[in-house]
Amino acid sequence: MMVPVRCFTCGSVVGEHWEEFEERAKEGDEDPEAVLDELGVDRYCCRRMLVSHTDLVDVVSPYQ
Amino acid sequence: MELRVTESADTELSIEIGGEDHTFMNVLKGALLESDDVTTATYDMNPEQSGGQTEPILTIKTREGVDPLEALEEAAGTVREKTTSFRESFEAAA
Amino acid sequence: MPGEYDVEFVERGDREARFLVRGATPAFANGIRRAMVADVPTMAIDEVRFIENSSVMFDEQLALRLGLVPLTTPPEGEFVEDDVVTLSLDVSGPATAYSRDLVSGDALVTPAEENVPIIELKEGQRLEVEADARIERGQTHAKHQGGVAVGYRHLQRVEVVGDLEEFEDEESRIVRGVIEDEGELLNAEEFDNDLAKRYPGKEVRVEDVPDAFVFHVETDGSFTVEELVTRAADSIEARADELEEAVQL
Repeated sequence: MMVPVRCFTCGSVVGEHWEEFEERAKEGDEDPEAVLDELGVDRYCCRRMLVSHTDLVDVVSPYQ
Repeated sequence: MELRVTESADTELSIEIGGEDHTFMNVLKGALLESDDVTTATYDMNPEQSGGQTEPILTIKTREGVDPLEALEEAAGTVREKTTSFRESFEAAA
Repeated sequence: MPGEYDVEFVERGDREARFLVRGATPAFANGIRRAMVADVPTMAIDEVRFIENSSVMFDEQLALRLGLVPLTTPPEGEFVEDDVVTLSLDVSGPATAYSRDLVSGDALVTPAEENVPIIELKEGQRLEVEADARIERGQTHAKHQGGVAVGYRHLQRVEVVGDLEEFEDEESRIVRGVIEDEGELLNAEEFDNDLAKRYPGKEVRVEDVPDAFVFHVETDGSFTVEELVTRAADSIEARADELEEAVQL
């Protein structure tokens, strides 16, 4: 639903990078690998948190 | 930290150290083994799920004529000296 | 024999650092590491009272998210167990509630990270909460864990032992961590973790340096790396003191 606050595996805070990552790599056409490197999300456990995430708030909000 | 002696003899001691885990016990065991007065030092600990003893039990055997409780006290002092020295070196580098 | 440690920083930042410790036994190195992960207490939200929550997430889910937000941890001794700092948050949609919207009752305890999204609120939705932060050890819950991905490796010494034979294929030789080359410390990432790139055409030997550990320490923002390491040492020391005293009686 919302992006996880921390990486499930190592506990590093990844939530803060989501909006920039989404804007630049998911909606924009930048290379996700380069964006993650630039954001300082180095470990693959943290990278998958952002790469595999989908926001679902818009999907569920009509059914409140 | 709650201590409970489970077995005691002249040169042998088993003592339960309540509330501790590997973090401290392994450092303590290492410090005990550095002493020449100590011949054997080990600790035993089981996971909670095993249903047995969960608090660590430290077993010390010492050289003839050495009180194991004193060896333990000395080892605790060694650990303290180690941490103090480590912190000093670290702060000097930082 | 105790003492005589030699500490040297390889990389250094507020939240991430790599440093070499010489003269430590494996037991001591591991004790410090474990203390950093599970024994150094940090502040985190522990109890949340919901005044209004009309968002798409349940109270429990939001409480978990709030708990995971790292908070700055005050100096040692400032707070003890069961001391409580109250933070409040009040956001009305359409807007997103961020960690920076948490208003703390104590300037020493504030969100360490400003831009963590808590929940996206649509038109007409509102979130108003009051949360209590407590100081606890990492052992009780991962949200109280100050050290992130804390670990160590042996320092590796690299020695050139000769030249490769003229027509021998050059194979890559991967190493990780930090190497020591004639007294110089070098992160293996600097040569792409491949010794064949640093010593082309050479035959090298790699060996672990005994009792030399390269720690990699990262914090979640609760405090600096230095603070975390010294507090870890303090926590072991406090227990050694306690044991010494208990045995004397």
